[in-house]
Amino acid sequence: MIQDYISLAIGNLKHKRVRSLLTIIGIVIGIGAIIALISVSQGLENSIKEQFELFGKDRILIGPKGFQGPGTVSEGLTTKDVDTIENLGEFEYVTYFLSRTAEIERKNQVKFALATSYPAEDVEKAFGDIDIDVKSGRFFTKGEKFSAILGSRAASELFDEDVRVRNKIKIAGSSFEVIGILENIGNPQDDNIIIIPIEAAREIFNEPDKVEGIMAQVKPGVDIQETQSRIERALKRARDDENFQVLTPTQILEQINQVLGVVQVVLVGIAAISLVVGGIGIMNSMYTSVLERTKEIGIMKAIGAKNKDILLIFLIESGFLGIIGGFFGVLLGLGIGKLVGVIAFQSGFQFLKIEVNFSLIIFGLIFAFFVGMISGAIPAYQASKLKPVDALKYE
Amino acid sequence: MKKAIIKMKDLWKTYHMGETTLDALKEINLEIYQGEFFTILGHSGSGKSTMLNMVGSLDLPTKGKIFLDGIDISTLHESDLAQLRGKKIGLVFQSFNLIPSLTALENVSLPMIFQGQDKNTRDSKSKELLSLVGLSSRMTHKASQLSGGEKQRVAIARALSNNPEVILADEPTGNLDSKTGAEIMNIFEDLHKNHNRTIIMVTHDIGLVKGSDRSCYLSDGKIIKVSKNIKEIKEMVIKK
Ligand SMILES: Nc1ncnc2c1ncn2[C@@H]1O[C@H](COP(=O)(O)OP(=O)(O)OP(=O)(O)O)[C@@H](O)[C@H]1O
Ligand SMILES: [Mg+2]
Repeated sequence: MIQDYISLAIGNLKHKRVRSLLTIIGIVIGIGAIIALISVSQGLENSIKEQFELFGKDRILIGPKGFQGPGTVSEGLTTKDVDTIENLGEFEYVTYFLSRTAEIERKNQVKFALATSYPAEDVEKAFGDIDIDVKSGRFFTKGEKFSAILGSRAASELFDEDVRVRNKIKIAGSSFEVIGILENIGNPQDDNIIIIPIEAAREIFNEPDKVEGIMAQVKPGVDIQETQSRIERALKRARDDENFQVLTPTQILEQINQVLGVVQVVLVGIAAISLVVGGIGIMNSMYTSVLERTKEIGIMKAIGAKNKDILLIFLIESGFLGIIGGFFGVLLGLGIGKLVGVIAFQSGFQFLKIEVNFSLIIFGLIFAFFVGMISGAIPAYQASKLKPVDALKYE
Repeated sequence: MKKAIIKMKDLWKTYHMGETTLDALKEINLEIYQGEFFTILGHSGSGKSTMLNMVGSLDLPTKGKIFLDGIDISTLHESDLAQLRGKKIGLVFQSFNLIPSLTALENVSLPMIFQGQDKNTRDSKSKELLSLVGLSSRMTHKASQLSGGEKQRVAIARALSNNPEVILADEPTGNLDSKTGAEIMNIFEDLHKNHNRTIIMVTHDIGLVKGSDRSCYLSDGKIIKVSKNIKEIKEMVIKK
């Protein structure tokens, strides 16, 4: 009995090839969109979290109020504040940075890029702590001044010709020798970095004592929260104002999570919309294809089919379409997700890893199966409720 | 005494269209006997199809009762009715009503699927019936590939597949040319004469009807006359 219905259903799908194909395409697109969006958004979320770990767990970041990261306009901190913090003790080291967008010149090619400066002797420690080494050349030595270290992308993408160790570049008109190139970090912002010693930056940017941000690496075992409040108290006392903020990794994570939350809401929103659009698309094509066959339903009733026989045939048929559409939709979605990953990789966002999520695949298949089945079964049920005379009259 | 296979008692069918109502059948009382070839004649709109649909349980009467082989079909539930319809009634329509995506053989088998017959039984029975209607060479053709006359032969074979008590045919030659129509009519005659089938047929092609046991003349929803003499009925139709 069931086998007969299955072969009836499959026979029909084969007969209405174009219609079946269009219905399947509708399902493929719906499911594909859902899978692609969800896997990209999951990949994004994972990689942002991973990136955060780069920052290090034992660092306290001190910046002016409203500090948003390197390169943003910020005022207020000076080397005096660095001294205040250093005097508290309890740190492995305290380092600070200053960055400016500047004209970078090589072989008459001029670009604008961000130059970031640290005390020369701190660079190796600061990067070493987050496991980043030079790919070629070396880090600065103490007292070194007109030398530069380039991120991997800055070396390969900024100028037509790759920059190598011992090449010369000009930053804001002064000549620097490239002494090191960093290994890949994985995101364009970090890989585009141009590092110079702060002593040189003070000279070429004419900033005698300004500091954009201070990073304090806490000694192992020291309580971060407590150190944070000690820094706050000390700075308040020394500066006699509150135009600064002291951030712990947890707080930074909270901030990142806030941004991530917005991203997620948007992506989940898009996924929900594509779920609805995909679902309605499936329903629409199922509905019209069943409606077209109202007369056939009338014929089957006239020759002795019960309502439940008709329902069963259509359930098999639409469930079958759903599962095929779902299968190819999942493939399409994963393909698009991977493609986004590859494109992101080539644009430097190497941290974006799109992974094949098994439960997402199952979800896609089940969703397609049930939405397909239900949206085929509902109009079939309605048609089967018609009196045979009325169904037979349907053209 | 002949057995009444169909019995209509005080049968009314009223259609409601907004404010107006239309009595398509008025107080029909009729018995049709086993093995009989019964023709229903009448002008267009007189209620012939409506009556046949009631007998075939494709539609329900507004009032009155229909007994099929002693069972009052108006009391049956949907699934029992479908079961009974599939088993006891074979329908042949003017517009053939085959499933176009299925082959001739599959169309003939379909009613047997709904009666739960196994594939071997279905196949051998379908082949037997298709050769009975002269279509042995068209078994694997899709219904959509057949000519009108061939389609109607398949439809007749399908109507016979569950060995029904009654075959109902509503203008089975209406969509066919006169030669093909005559061939189809011969099949019905053969079924009646040589296979002892009960046939109720609505037709306009009164010239084609031969061998009918009884006829009735339907006008404006009422049975005006039932007669064994088909000429008498034919004259009534022509006169009006
Ligand atoms: N579903 C319906 N709703 C309203 N009126 C209907 C319906 N079906 C049939 N009728 C009306 O009932 C009357 C009888 O219709 P029926 O189809 O039985 O006529 P008929 O004798 O078969 O005619 P024909 O020879 O043209 O097929 C007609 O007046 C028709 O308009
Ligand atoms: Mg009619």
